[in-house]
Amino acid sequence: MSAATHVVPTASPRRVSPRELGEVGALVLLVVVFTALNPSTFVTLTNIRTVLDQASVPLILGVGATLVILMGSIDLSVEGVMGAAGMTFILLSDNTRKTVDLGAGAIVVALAVGLALGLLSGLLHTRLRVPSFIVTLGVWFVGLGIATLLFGESVIPFLPDGGIKAWPSHHPLGVPNSFLLALVIVVAGLLVARFTTLGRMAYAIGGDEQVARDNGLAVDRYKVLVFVVAGGCGAVAGILATMQLGAGSATVGVGNLFTTIAAVVIGGTSLGGGRGGIHRTVVGVLLLVVLQNGLVLSGVSPNVQSAVSGAVLIVAVAAAAWPLRDRLRIVT
Amino acid sequence: MSHALVDAPSTAPDRPTRSPAARALALWQSAGPVAVFVVLLILVAIVQPPFVTGGGLRILAVQATPIMLVALGQAMVLHVGSIDLSNAAIAILSAIVLAKALGPLGAAAPLLCLVLLTAVGAVNGLLVAFAQVPSFALTLGTLGVLQAVSLVVSHASTVYATAHTGVLDFLFEIDVFGLPIAFWVAVLLALALWLLLRRTATGRAMTAVGLNETGARFAGLRTQWLRVLAFALSGAMAAVAGIMIVAQAQSASSSGLGSDLLIPAIAAAIVGGTALTGGVTNPLNVVVGALTVSLVPIGAQTIGVTSQAQSLVYGLVIVVAVALTVPRVRSIVK
Repeated sequence: MSAATHVVPTASPRRVSPRELGEVGALVLLVVVFTALNPSTFVTLTNIRTVLDQASVPLILGVGATLVILMGSIDLSVEGVMGAAGMTFILLSDNTRKTVDLGAGAIVVALAVGLALGLLSGLLHTRLRVPSFIVTLGVWFVGLGIATLLFGESVIPFLPDGGIKAWPSHHPLGVPNSFLLALVIVVAGLLVARFTTLGRMAYAIGGDEQVARDNGLAVDRYKVLVFVVAGGCGAVAGILATMQLGAGSATVGVGNLFTTIAAVVIGGTSLGGGRGGIHRTVVGVLLLVVLQNGLVLSGVSPNVQSAVSGAVLIVAVAAAAWPLRDRLRIVT
Repeated sequence: MSHALVDAPSTAPDRPTRSPAARALALWQSAGPVAVFVVLLILVAIVQPPFVTGGGLRILAVQATPIMLVALGQAMVLHVGSIDLSNAAIAILSAIVLAKALGPLGAAAPLLCLVLLTAVGAVNGLLVAFAQVPSFALTLGTLGVLQAVSLVVSHASTVYATAHTGVLDFLFEIDVFGLPIAFWVAVLLALALWLLLRRTATGRAMTAVGLNETGARFAGLRTQWLRVLAFALSGAMAAVAGIMIVAQAQSASSSGLGSDLLIPAIAAAIVGGTALTGGVTNPLNVVVGALTVSLVPIGAQTIGVTSQAQSLVYGLVIVVAVALTVPRVRSIVK
């Protein structure tokens, strides 16, 4: 990636570029097509709630993943963090295994597990100078290992019916609670990215890390902080996914890494860092979730669904790269 | 100049005046991966001496073979500064195609796999090079597509090779120096890639692309085609890995033997000292990296780590091994 083309966005985020309209347009097109194909099932209140409920976990993960990718790094550990935090949460809650019931304390401890794993990633990355790709790959397995160790050899812990198990899909405000939680985290993420030093540092590091260092910015400290935030997002997603599943599983996060990174990239955040934003990832997540939901309703075999997501990803990145094509442009 | 390209990817090729520290670093870069493997092996051998004497090494070689092949392909792509997230999916597709084609085609089936999946790899490369799409995003997309193709071709179940399985029997049934021929085939391919990188103009040009692509392009190298070559090699190595999977299992499925090669293979390439940023690859060290990555779960089991703790140990050992062997050629680490 040539550093010269990186521009730290200083313009107001309200100025919408044609590029962003492309993804929003694709989302609208999908909704129109699926409504035409499934007039009686797609745009119903039940299905909209289903889509929003399905979108909540990738949206929460997308906030952390976008901040890390904006910084030019990558976080592969989400599935491990989700497993470790989810397992901690269920074993400290009222469950069929009757371990201990800390009530809301369970959420606090599970969050702490996620933040600690994020801190581990950040410290290993900055102190040992190992690429984030491989550090977070290791932490992925560390998280899975913690979840498996906590699970032990005993029976599967289930959440009792009703109560917190039913909380995510309840919709006292019209939309499911899970989506409201995701919305709160997305808005918080947008505010952090736009108005806090942490957010601006993520853009600055991704734009040109050398320049940021040369200007005396505490690059390493903010890198660690961003990984901690991503760990926190992974923990919230793990707790929510465990509530939705209603049971403890080390692999509660399986499949979320692909969806999250695909959504970030489809949304238009550059993997090289410095360009993009959480608002783009929201559109990317909705595109993928609506697509999967619409395909299921249209009776498409589940076997080809990964191909559809993959093809959308390829088309999205190819379309984004097409106008930038240049004989001297370096793309790796 | 050639020495600067191959041995010292630093900004100044000041070979005669290199400090002792820099020389020690260069030595560690070539010997580090071997040292990490040997230390791990000695640890296992001290706790469980029968592992080394009682056939443990053969099990290690069998397990390491498909990982090694996929890792070698990955290392070639990493060498030009890209990444191929789809090559493990190519290996599984190769295995499924082979299991289907072995009955009707016999000995021609492996050749078909090789040609077909090398072409798939080349398509990845063509898209990266000429549509100018970043390889991480592109191959994440082709990963999804290839997984679906595997599911559709196999009808989401296990495909058993019905006839002519004898064609592949020699790979795991005949041993040379106590290790199966399949392992030695992978080692020979590694040697071939080492010769390509170190002894041919094409290989040197690939190194130049990995170290400084802008410079390589201004020097008149056809950098796009070198990238296509790297991806095609990745496809070819994955196709051979698929052949090994069928030779071992006589069957193939999307969730069976060899369906989780991507992460171990990337780990193997990097534990083998390959730089994610490109230009620093030693295929022979990738062989050692694959052995290290395969030794961790087997060794942990042998020395009595409970099965619940194994992925924890795996994650920690990978991070430590990489921290010890990662080439630190650039000041910025992403």
